[in-house]
Amino acid sequence: MTTLWDTTGTAVVKALAQERRTGGGVTSGLALTLVVVHDEKDTADVEAAVSIASARHPMRVLSVIRHNYEAPVPRLDAEVLIGGRYGPGEAVVLRMYGRLSLHAESVTLPLLAPDAPVVTWWYSSTPELIAHDPIGVFADRRITNVIRDRDPAASLRQRAEDYAPGDTDLTWTVITPWRAALASAFDTVQAECESVTVAGNPADPSAQLLAGWMSSRLGLQVPVEKAEGKYISSVTVLFADGNRIDLTNEGYKLIMRRLGQMDSIAPFPQRRTGDVLAEELRRLDPDETYAEALGAVTGHADLNSRPTTRTHIWFDPALAGSEG
Amino acid sequence: MSTTDDLSTVDPAAGRGSFGSAPGAAHTGPPATPPSAPSGTTPAASRNPLRDPRDRRLPRVPEPCALVVFGVTGDLSRKKLLPAIYDLANRGLLPADFVLLGFARRDWGDGDFESMAKKAAREHARTEWKDEVWDRLSGNITFVPGAFDDDDAFDELARTLKELSDSHGIKGNAAFYLSIPPAAFPTVLKQMERTGMADNARSGGWRRVVVEKPFGHDLPSALELNRLVDDVFTPQDVFRIDHYLGKETVQNIMALRFANQLFEPVWNSNFVDSVQITMAEDVGIAGRAGFYDATGAARDVLQNHLLQLLALTAMEEPVEFTAEAIQVEKLKVLRAITLPHDLAAYAVRGQYDQGWQAGERVVAYTSEEGVPPDSKTETYAAVRLGIDTRRWAGVPFYMRTGKRLPRRVTEIGVLFKKAPHLPFSQTDTEELGHNQLVIRVQPDEGITLKFGSKVPGSMMEVRDVSMDFLYGEAFTESSPEAYERLILDVLLGDATLFPRNAEVEASWRVIDPLEAFWAGNTPEKYRAGEWGPKKADEMLARDGRDWRRP
Repeated sequence: MTTLWDTTGTAVVKALAQERRTGGGVTSGLALTLVVVHDEKDTADVEAAVSIASARHPMRVLSVIRHNYEAPVPRLDAEVLIGGRYGPGEAVVLRMYGRLSLHAESVTLPLLAPDAPVVTWWYSSTPELIAHDPIGVFADRRITNVIRDRDPAASLRQRAEDYAPGDTDLTWTVITPWRAALASAFDTVQAECESVTVAGNPADPSAQLLAGWMSSRLGLQVPVEKAEGKYISSVTVLFADGNRIDLTNEGYKLIMRRLGQMDSIAPFPQRRTGDVLAEELRRLDPDETYAEALGAVTGHADLNSRPTTRTHIWFDPALAGSEG
Repeated sequence: MSTTDDLSTVDPAAGRGSFGSAPGAAHTGPPATPPSAPSGTTPAASRNPLRDPRDRRLPRVPEPCALVVFGVTGDLSRKKLLPAIYDLANRGLLPADFVLLGFARRDWGDGDFESMAKKAAREHARTEWKDEVWDRLSGNITFVPGAFDDDDAFDELARTLKELSDSHGIKGNAAFYLSIPPAAFPTVLKQMERTGMADNARSGGWRRVVVEKPFGHDLPSALELNRLVDDVFTPQDVFRIDHYLGKETVQNIMALRFANQLFEPVWNSNFVDSVQITMAEDVGIAGRAGFYDATGAARDVLQNHLLQLLALTAMEEPVEFTAEAIQVEKLKVLRAITLPHDLAAYAVRGQYDQGWQAGERVVAYTSEEGVPPDSKTETYAAVRLGIDTRRWAGVPFYMRTGKRLPRRVTEIGVLFKKAPHLPFSQTDTEELGHNQLVIRVQPDEGITLKFGSKVPGSMMEVRDVSMDFLYGEAFTESSPEAYERLILDVLLGDATLFPRNAEVEASWRVIDPLEAFWAGNTPEKYRAGEWGPKKADEMLARDGRDWRRP
């Protein structure tokens, strides 16, 4: 591990090359560069998540921590680690102070693994427009996490406003087990589906996205009805031939009830943030299914036909603050 | 003959479901109007409006079904099958309605079988053990005791299956895994025919059968076996397991060759000097004396694993990535294989003598328990094959397999010709060998590229360096056990990774003349812990080559 205080981007590039030579690291296995934007207080959570994901996807991790942009003197502190807290791969932690925080890309660009895809993950506080953050503009894939925002439901709507192919949100990733169970339940039914109800927290973005997904696939209105719990508690599906499927989440078990059949119980293990992140990194192309689900939730039909690239829009929080 | 069937009939299973391998069956239409199922496919999956080929997060999950295992108390079942089923369940790849039905000659209730299965799964599972996963599986495990010639037991089995399809919603779908000695095949198959268990139409779902190697011991016996199985099941419902084909690296051969522009232009006799395919084992015969002494290395490994690896390495590009298109190409290669005219020089067989291996003294093959002291069975086989096609004419394919070799390794080495002209002086390039592309099948799954590079310094010296791609490093997560993948494919009805009748028969056509030539003569001795008999080295030396040390 190399720690650099009050340093420059060039020195960090050199330190990384040096660590790789002495640590015996090789580029051949690198599949992507993951840029994580997070706050100092979330460092432990980010480390835990990234170490799980990087055990499954060989990657270089750039952790960007932006400190107070109002600090009078810009400053960069960096740590270079290979095989440490961030898992088996290479990691560079970049702490930026002062106006440098607004130009983080000047430090990260030379550190990206050559010609490997770039994924940016905002652990929390996604910029309102991703185009405001240059770190998001040059990424091939962008992962947000609206559940950590102050108003997740509003944040999800904003993600649709701002959507470009290649964006996804972790509140979508966490419902993959639900979607797999539902798709599997539909395999055995021949009849047309008549209605679907999701019970859970109507304000929860995951519940919204699950309803949006069902709605986009089935061409039905799928309401989210208020029920106990803060996530998704059950899904009820009615079919034209009178068939009915109830899927209920009961303490890490998914129970499927059908007419005239034994209940089937499947484990529904809690997935850690790292597992969810690892699923997200499996595919680096746009997720059309997510776009359709998000479109169904927010009433945008054009998400898949939006341009895939963004142009950086200069945004100075100091000025925005004085205007607002 | 079944060969023509395999070429002409289109496997209906290939078009099944949005997640099936035929892109034509996939729908991308507007979600509000579920498209009608293409004719000839199972309607349930393809009509499922929630499945979408673009939605690649959803796992491929089979339809509700039962897996019936014959010989469920055997070694293979305990070490591979049951753990693989647990691993599949743990990864969420089994349908909610899944039943495991064991059949064996034991006086057991469901509980005894369940606890045996739990112990086996727990001991050998690849993924983390979770009690809740097993609890869910164990509720759907049933055992039917009986002997293979016991009519009552099979009636009971048929009745149990029938009951399960009602109570557990498995819709008459069942796969039968025959983990039994080949001698018991006729009895079991007759029983299935008698009870109508193998009949797709009568059961109201699909019925598939999984057969393990050996697929016969020569061409006539293979034809007989194929006829027997195909009589009872429809040919496209028969899945022959060659577990090598379930390995990630083997599947990657096709990705490497057909997804890249870099390798295909040099993948022919203009650039390739020779190909070496090796499957070495460090173990001896480990308690399988009876089977092994009657079989030998050529029938045990060369006929299936090595020839399949050769077919994947040498085949032309399939027109599409479907079971039947790949089989067509593999079959073409297998039929184009030629044996050397001079078998005495280019087909070597050996038998291990006593020696030292990995720091331990090991006995000779003929001193192994259960092997007759005058046994002439080979434990090592090496042969030079040719492929009579425009792409490969003149390129020797050296195949070798053996037991008690220094290490366990399987690899395909493609050796390229030397550069036609070197501007460097002779001494500069003395250490430069053939450029090589090596596909390491196991262990350390990956690919090695070997090429010449300048030795740093003031002199112009070129020597071989190798560049490694290690599968474990790049994609640690996605290397499931071969059995997991293959069982899942059987339940999904995807035959891409299974050799069909015609391939098995074509392989025997290669092996039979070899066996006929070898019959009666004594195998060359080699010391345990060595890379095979001297004659095998001489065989390559005669062609001015030598074996790669894997």
